[in-house]
Amino acid sequence: MKQKALYILLLAALVLSACGNLGGGQPVVVRIGWAGSPDTLNPGSAILSEAYTIFGLVYDSMYKLNLDGTFSLGVAESVEHSADGLVYTYKIREGVKFHDGQPMTAGDIKFSYDLYKTHEDFPYINSYTAYIESTEAPDDNTIVLTLSEAIPNIESQLVFMYILPEHIWKDHAEGSATVEFENFEMIGTGPFKIVEYKQNEFVHLGANKEHFETPPKVGEVIFQTFESQDVLVQALKSGQVDMITEMPATAVETLKAEANVKVLNGAPFAPAVSDIIFNQIAPENCPTDDGGLCTGHPALQDRNVRLALAHATNKQKLIDVVLLGYGTPGLTLIPDGLGFWYNDTIKDYEFDTARANQMLDDAGYADTDGDGVREMPDGSQPLIFRVNWPSDSIDAPRQAELLSEMWEEVGVKTELQATDPDALTAQCCPAFDFDVILWGWGSDPDPNLLLGVQTTAEIPTGYNETGYSNPEFDALYDQQAVELDLETRKELVWKMQEIAFNDVVYIIPYYEQSIQAYRTDKFTGWLTAFAKIELSDVTSLVLIEPVK
Amino acid sequence: MKRWRYLLGKISWALFTILFVIILNFFLFRILPGDPARAGVRDPRLTKENIEAIRVRYGLDKPIINCFESLNPVKIGSCAVNPLDTQFFIYMGNLLQGDMMISFHTNRPVTEILSERLWNTVILIGAGQILAILVGVLFGMFSAWKARTALDFASLTISLVAWSIPTFWLGVILLFWGSNNGMPIAGMSTPGMSSYPLLTQWGDIARHMFLPTLTYTIVYMGEYMLIMRSSLLDVLSEDYILTAKAKGLSIFQILKDHAIKNAMLPLVTIIAINLGFTVGGVIQIETVFSWPGLGMTTVEALNRRDFPVLQGAFLLIAVAVILSNLLADLAYSYLDPRVKTE
Repeated sequence: MKQKALYILLLAALVLSACGNLGGGQPVVVRIGWAGSPDTLNPGSAILSEAYTIFGLVYDSMYKLNLDGTFSLGVAESVEHSADGLVYTYKIREGVKFHDGQPMTAGDIKFSYDLYKTHEDFPYINSYTAYIESTEAPDDNTIVLTLSEAIPNIESQLVFMYILPEHIWKDHAEGSATVEFENFEMIGTGPFKIVEYKQNEFVHLGANKEHFETPPKVGEVIFQTFESQDVLVQALKSGQVDMITEMPATAVETLKAEANVKVLNGAPFAPAVSDIIFNQIAPENCPTDDGGLCTGHPALQDRNVRLALAHATNKQKLIDVVLLGYGTPGLTLIPDGLGFWYNDTIKDYEFDTARANQMLDDAGYADTDGDGVREMPDGSQPLIFRVNWPSDSIDAPRQAELLSEMWEEVGVKTELQATDPDALTAQCCPAFDFDVILWGWGSDPDPNLLLGVQTTAEIPTGYNETGYSNPEFDALYDQQAVELDLETRKELVWKMQEIAFNDVVYIIPYYEQSIQAYRTDKFTGWLTAFAKIELSDVTSLVLIEPVK
Repeated sequence: MKRWRYLLGKISWALFTILFVIILNFFLFRILPGDPARAGVRDPRLTKENIEAIRVRYGLDKPIINCFESLNPVKIGSCAVNPLDTQFFIYMGNLLQGDMMISFHTNRPVTEILSERLWNTVILIGAGQILAILVGVLFGMFSAWKARTALDFASLTISLVAWSIPTFWLGVILLFWGSNNGMPIAGMSTPGMSSYPLLTQWGDIARHMFLPTLTYTIVYMGEYMLIMRSSLLDVLSEDYILTAKAKGLSIFQILKDHAIKNAMLPLVTIIAINLGFTVGGVIQIETVFSWPGLGMTTVEALNRRDFPVLQGAFLLIAVAVILSNLLADLAYSYLDPRVKTE
């Protein structure tokens, strides 16, 4: 009887595997594996980066973001701006068509921009309209944008403002119906159009061969969701997918040994910054009206302590142990992935424990009771710092252990504690109820976002997480935010990085790299020559073609 | 008469439990730290105005219930507000009309999400359950019949090992084995299959089901086998079995007519309870094989503080468990007439 059961199982397996063989003559399909899924196909309500990846393929916007960090025109042919930088006039390409065959006109662009601006419950896109005072479409091929302030980075504001078809969205333009519109049809003008979408399972796209600029060479692209990165690696190995957008660093070596697989690493498309946050808020800046408690350790308000900790931190070791080498040492919140804006002339603090010890001795933090932990110069309190990190972080626990060992060498003790991310937000800012937090940021293509995080104005809003306040830095921030000359603005941005670095606002342990891999026996033409690696971006997917 | 009263008592108790779960669900999730309007997102692009607008949209700006503005952190509010304008009574009112509201994370109606997911889970775990019961019961009978022989010992060992293997570990091992043998390892269908004939689509789903179902069957058959074996051994030692043997009945007849029906009683309880939990999905199996079921949805909703989805999923799971317990009670009273009179 037992044998029979086994036979039945085997037979079932055979029958099932026979069912799956499909005939030929199908379109050329690129299968991409990722460990996420869009939260929604509605560009207004989306938060997750996976959703933005799909939007970038299905929609067009005024500008395109290139892999080297520069922008080029999208649906616009040309642009001019007034001398004061307040009025931008775009000439829109003729003959651009939506996936359903309807022509796209300036009216659709005006409609989309107005929709984004009027819906405050759109989490991200709404904030990109902050400087747009009005959008006018005097004729079918002209858009006139009037800004409230002359801003230098109009490209990065418009690049995510996708152009929606008015003839479809006008029925969903009012009230909560807009956010709840599921947009399963997803009519856009982009190089790909939606075929089928199943949440948490897959996004199935087909090529828009009529695209005005970059019609794809492949027939279809499928993004399939896998629950874990390890399974992704296995799926690539066995050929079930042709490319994977993410993978654990631990799997790189085994995957490199695999025939027909190429592993790439480089700065991610949306650069990531890992940061060690010091609560350095001065008592007079404590945002008590917004819930500020400001219970940070007083020693962290002293630049000497932060500087000594920077010298006591071995970044290379952190990168080698936590990321297995797949990261670059960090300087400030502006990551190397921003290319042009990244100040690479700053020389990092040397890892030198003896020097760090000397600094703390000189600043008066002596270990008076001989327990191996230094005390405040007035002897009031030992240098014991609470170190917290979000409990969903994979890297932070290892980072914390290493930091704890490194800082112990200079007489600083740590109390390590993982915290629920939402609870940590509540503790962080503007409450300032912590000493040290290990966290991070995802960067915008423009440096404005993460420079703003270090200004005094953002202390009460909770986005300034260190409590850092420097009038010189604030003034430079305001200056760069309206500087229209690229080179002058770059100088200002570089100067700001220098200031933040010298003040040791953060220790930035590293900029994490993204690791992706593809099968070399399936498709060729992936864009791999840039510093940034993003094979699932539209820039690669319109170029690749099957291996002959 | 007695039977009706028994039934009525059981049913009203079940209804009362469901009501309790509905109320508990609401408050349970609101004690969790974290703000669903931000969903763990910390980004300067999400301005105060945006967050406020989102709160208004989801009704999170209203007090939780009279006298309580919020539960985490606990904030005492006015007790004089109109109860119909509090989050709790809006939730109860909507639920009575069958409306589970809109997911905070995906902005889709919760009923829509859950019915998709429920179906996915039921076909996966349903198939696994049936196979596990069949294989487990057969193994159990076989073991009891051949009690204290090498065969019994072997199948007992297999069952114990299968029952104690961590589910995710077995899943991962089978996943590696399967992917090297051309089996699909993720999802419930090959993307892009919807244009194929229905039969091909079903075949494709069956292929995707193979590995997760096998994992489920191996892990759960051990439990059924062990219970069936010990229960059958109990029955086989009874005097009336000896009588049956003395009458010269064959082993097959003894098992079929005298032993199995009585030995099934404890199994019915286990099966009914397990069927109830089936709806909750097996989170580990769904995670290993990226199966878009209810278990995975619940975990994701929890991470995003997606209260409406959580409330809906928990309600569904609770109703399933309570209903299957009710069924077990009723089946018991049918199988064993002594139960009714108690």
